[in-house]
Amino acid sequence: MSVLTIAMNTFRESIRNRVMINILLFAVGLILLSIVLGEWSLGEQIKVIKDFGLSAMSIFGLLIAIFIGIRLMVQELEQRTIYLIASKPIRRWEIVLGKYSGLALTLIVNVILMAVTLLVVNLIIEGRIDLGLLPAVFLIYIEILLIVAFALFFSSLMSPQLSALATLILYMLGHLTNFLYEYIRVFPDKGFHWLLKGIYYIVPNLEKLNLKMAVVDHVPQPPHVVAWATAYGLCYIVIVLILTAAVFNKKDLK
Amino acid sequence: MAVPAVKIDHLTKIYSADLGKKPMCAVDDLNLEVEQGEVFAFLGPNGAGKTTTIKTMMRLLFPTRGFVEIFGIPNLSVKAMRSVGFLPEQPQIYGYLTGREFLDFTARLFRLDRSTRKKRIDDCLEQVGLIKRADGLIRGYSRGMMQRLGLAQALINDPELLVLDEPMSNLDPVGRKEFRDLILELKDKGKTLFFSSHILSDAEMIADRVGIVNQGRLVNTGKLRDLIEAQIRSIEITFIMTPDKTAKLGFEQANIVQQDEHMLVRLENDADVQRTIGDIMRLDGRIVSVVPQKRTLEDIFMTELGG
Ligand SMILES: Nc1ncnc2c1ncn2[C@@H]1O[C@H](COP(=O)(O)OP(=O)(O)O)[C@@H](O)[C@H]1O
Ligand SMILES: [Mg+2]
Repeated sequence: MSVLTIAMNTFRESIRNRVMINILLFAVGLILLSIVLGEWSLGEQIKVIKDFGLSAMSIFGLLIAIFIGIRLMVQELEQRTIYLIASKPIRRWEIVLGKYSGLALTLIVNVILMAVTLLVVNLIIEGRIDLGLLPAVFLIYIEILLIVAFALFFSSLMSPQLSALATLILYMLGHLTNFLYEYIRVFPDKGFHWLLKGIYYIVPNLEKLNLKMAVVDHVPQPPHVVAWATAYGLCYIVIVLILTAAVFNKKDLK
Repeated sequence: MAVPAVKIDHLTKIYSADLGKKPMCAVDDLNLEVEQGEVFAFLGPNGAGKTTTIKTMMRLLFPTRGFVEIFGIPNLSVKAMRSVGFLPEQPQIYGYLTGREFLDFTARLFRLDRSTRKKRIDDCLEQVGLIKRADGLIRGYSRGMMQRLGLAQALINDPELLVLDEPMSNLDPVGRKEFRDLILELKDKGKTLFFSSHILSDAEMIADRVGIVNQGRLVNTGKLRDLIEAQIRSIEITFIMTPDKTAKLGFEQANIVQQDEHMLVRLENDADVQRTIGDIMRLDGRIVSVVPQKRTLEDIFMTELGG
C-alpha cells in the first residue's frame, strides 16, 4: 500500500518533469526521422530503420533511466523532501521499492511510446507491422530496468555526477563482457586478470538482453531464449534492489 | 503513571567524518522525558543539537548510542510513527504537486481511507489557513505558506504527539499568533507537543515546561513558572519629576535612569517600593508605571550558557 503510494507519486513526478518529456519527444522524433535515413540506404532501407529504431530505444532508454533514476533519488535527499516521507509509518525498503516501481512504470510508458512510433514507421515503409521486433523491445525494457536499478543503487552511495558516471560505465562494461571473457581466455595473465574476472562476474552481461541483430535479420527466437534472458535480468534486478534497500536502511538522512 | 509521550535515553549522536570534516558530537548523552499532554519547548542557540535530536527521534538519523521511545514504543518501529506528526526545520515539499495533492499523498502514507482523507485534508487546510491556495502548485508557495503546509501535513493523521522543529521561524507576526492559538487548541484536546526554538519568547507564552540544550547537552529542564519565579524579582518604577527633586529620594545617581522627563528606578524588595512610591507622591512627582520584572528565559539562557 505504501509502496503503491510512493510509486504513483514517483510516476506523477516523472511525467510532470519537463526534461524527461523532452528526451522522450526527441527520441520519438528521431525514430520518425529514420524514414529519411532509410531513403539513403537503398535496398537495405527497412533493415536500417529497424536497427536504428531499436538502438535509439536502447540509448534513449538508458538516458531516461540515468536521468530520472538518479535525479529523482538525489533530489529527494538533497532537497530534504525525504524528511516528510521517511518520518511517516513506512519502512525504508518500502521507499526504495516504491521509487523503483514508479520508475519502472514511467519507463514502460516511455518504451511503449517509442515502440509504437517504430512500428508506425515500419508500417509506413513496409506496409505491414513486423511483430517480430517485440521480443527485442521487451528485452530492451528489461535492460533499462536493470540499468535504473543500478542507478538507484549508485545514487544511494555517491554524488549524482559519480552515480551517472558509474551507471554509464556499467552500461558499457555490460555490453563488453563477452570481449572481456575472450581477452582473459586468449591473452596471458599480466597480473590483473583477477580484476577482469571480478568485473566479468559482477557486471551483468547486457548482450544477453540484446536481440536487435537477431530480430532485424529475422533469425527466429525460440521462446526460451527470451524467457532465460528475462530471468537473468530479473535476478540481477532483485539483487541490486536488495542491496540498495540495505544501504538505504542504515543511511542517515542528514 | 502513564508512559511518557517521549522518552530519550542516553542519546548520543556523532556525525561520522565525511570528506574533510572531523567527527562531530552533536548530541551528547541526552536524557529527557515528556509527559502526555504536555507542551514542551526544546530551547537552545543555533548549533546546540536540537535538530539532530529531533531527527533522531523521527528516525531520520540513527543514534550512535542510546534510544528513543514514543508512547513506550521504540521509535525505530513503524508502529511508533502512526500517532506522530512531524514538521521539519524549513520544510521542503515537492514543487510539482499542489498543496492538496501533497496532503493526499501524506494521508495515504498513514493509510487513511478515502472519506477520512477528504475530511482531514479540508480540516487541516482550514486549520493552517491555506484553503484558498490549496490547489496551487507548491512551487509557487512563499516560505510562510510552505511552513503552513508543513504544519498541515503534520496534523493530517490527527496525531497524539506533534514534533515541530523551529515551527515559528518562517511566520510573520500574524502567523505566529495563529500558530500559538493552534498550539493551545491542540493542548486543550490533550495532545502532546514537542517543539524547538532558538527564540526564547516563542516558548514563554505557550510552553508548560522547557528543556535547555547547549553543545549537545541538556543543561536545564523545568516548569517554566518555577524557572522564572525562583529568581528574585525586581520592580521598575517609572515616574516624572525634576532632577533636583529626584535627588531627594536618596538613591545613588547611578541607579536612576533618566529618559527625557521620565525617571526610572529598579528596586528589589517590596518595602523599598512602598516607601519610594510614597516619597514620589509627597514630592509632587507623577507615577507613570510600576512593573514587576520577571526573570525572562533570555536571562536564564544567558546564565546557563555563561556559566
Ligand atoms: N550533517 C551534519 N554533518 C556534520 N555535522 C553536522 C551535521 N548537521 C549538523 N551538524 C553539526 O551538529 C551540531 C548541531 O546541529 P543542529 O542539531 O542542527 O543544531 P540546532 O538545530 O540546535 O541548531 C552543529 O554544530 C552542526 O554544525
Ligand atoms: Mg535546528
